[in-house]
Amino acid sequence: MSTTSRKHRDFVAEPMGDKPVTALSGIGEVLGEKLEEQGFDKAFVVLGQFLLLRKNDELFTEWLKDATGANARQAASCSQCLREWCDAFL
Amino acid sequence: MPVFVEDPSQFSKQRLKAELITHNVELPARESKKEVLLELYLKHVGVKPTADFSSDEEEDQVQNGNDEGDKPDPDMTDLSLLTDEQLKVKLLKYGVKAGPIVDSTRSLYEKKLQRLMEPAPEVKLNGTGDAGQYSDSEEEQDEEEEDEQEAPEQSDPETVTELDSAANQLKRSPGSGECSYADSSTCSTFSITQLVEQGSLLVAVVTASKCPLTVIGFTLEPANDLLKEMFPDAEVTPFGISATRRRPIRGAAGRPVQFKYPLPDFSPASVERKEISRRLVPLWIQTVIFLIVSSLLFLIYMTFEEFSY
Repeated sequence: MSTTSRKHRDFVAEPMGDKPVTALSGIGEVLGEKLEEQGFDKAFVVLGQFLLLRKNDELFTEWLKDATGANARQAASCSQCLREWCDAFL
Repeated sequence: MPVFVEDPSQFSKQRLKAELITHNVELPARESKKEVLLELYLKHVGVKPTADFSSDEEEDQVQNGNDEGDKPDPDMTDLSLLTDEQLKVKLLKYGVKAGPIVDSTRSLYEKKLQRLMEPAPEVKLNGTGDAGQYSDSEEEQDEEEEDEQEAPEQSDPETVTELDSAANQLKRSPGSGECSYADSSTCSTFSITQLVEQGSLLVAVVTASKCPLTVIGFTLEPANDLLKEMFPDAEVTPFGISATRRRPIRGAAGRPVQFKYPLPDFSPASVERKEISRRLVPLWIQTVIFLIVSSLLFLIYMTFEEFSY
C-alpha cells in the first residue's frame, strides 16, 4: 500500500485515547457496528486483539475478515494503521 | 495407523505415560489417575478405544483421524479438542510462534494450524504460500515485456541507418544481427541467410521493422551513442566496433617529438642568464632583510639582557 488515507494519518498521528473503532482506518460504519456487537467498542480493544496476535498482520487481517466480513483491503488498512500506531506510541 | 493388538486399557501407568510422551502429548497433572491417562492416550494416539472409555463421538473422530492415512503424527484429530497448551506446541512445531491463546484468538490459531497441516511438507517450508509472489520467472517476463515495448520505438532510427548503408554491409546490418540474437518465435523465419538471398536491402528492412519482437539488438543503441560522442568522426558500424587507423607514435621511427606545450630550454647560456637575473633582483632585498632580522634579534637579546638583571 503506497498511499495512506487521511483517516490513517489522523489515527497514527496521536494517542488513540478513547476513540471509537470507527476511527480506525478501514473500519467504517458497518464494520464498526459489527465489531461493537462483538464487544470491540473502542479502538483500544481492537488494538488489544492486534497485540494478542503478536502484531501479526496476517493473523489480524484474517481475524478481522472473519469477525466482521471486512475485505482484504479494509483489513490490511486497519492492520497497517494499528501497526504504525504501535511503532509510534508503544 | 495399524490397530494395536494390545488393549491400551491394560497398559501400565508408566507405559501410558511413555506412549503419550512419544506422541508429543502434554501430560496432565503429575498425580493423575490411569483413566485420565488412558483417555488422553486414546484421544491422541488414536488407537481404537475399548468400549468403556470414550463416547461414540470420540470414536468417530479417532476413526476419521485414522482414515486420513497412516500418518505417524496424531495431529489429524479434531483441533478443537486440543488444550490451549497443545495447540501452542503444535503451532510451534510448524514454526509458528503463537501468542496467548484465548477465546478470541483460539479459533484463528486452530484455523492456522489446520492450514499448516494440510499442504505437503515442501510447501510448508516455503512459508504460507506467497512463493508465487516473489518468483523469478515473473520478473523476467516483465522485463521481456518492457523490452518488447521499447523495441518498436527504437526501430525507426535503426531502419534509417540501414537504408543509408551499402548493400555489401548487409551481412552485418543491425537487422540481421538482432534477429539472429533474438530467439523469439516470431523472428524465427528471419535469418541471415535469407537476408543474403533476398539481396534487396529494402525488403530486409521492411521485414525487420515489421517483426514485433526485436529484443537484443536494440540494446546496442545507447552504447553506439557513447561511442559516437567519443569518436565523432569514426565510422558508424552496427556493432559499435570500429576499426580506426592507428595513430603514429611521436618520437618513434625518427619522427620529431612534438609536445603540446613548449618545453623550457636548458641551454647553458639561458641558464646563466636566469641565474644572474635571479641573483640580481633580490640581492639588495636579501641584505635588507638580513639586516632587519639581525637587528631584531639583537634588540631582543638586549631587552632580555636588561630584564634579566
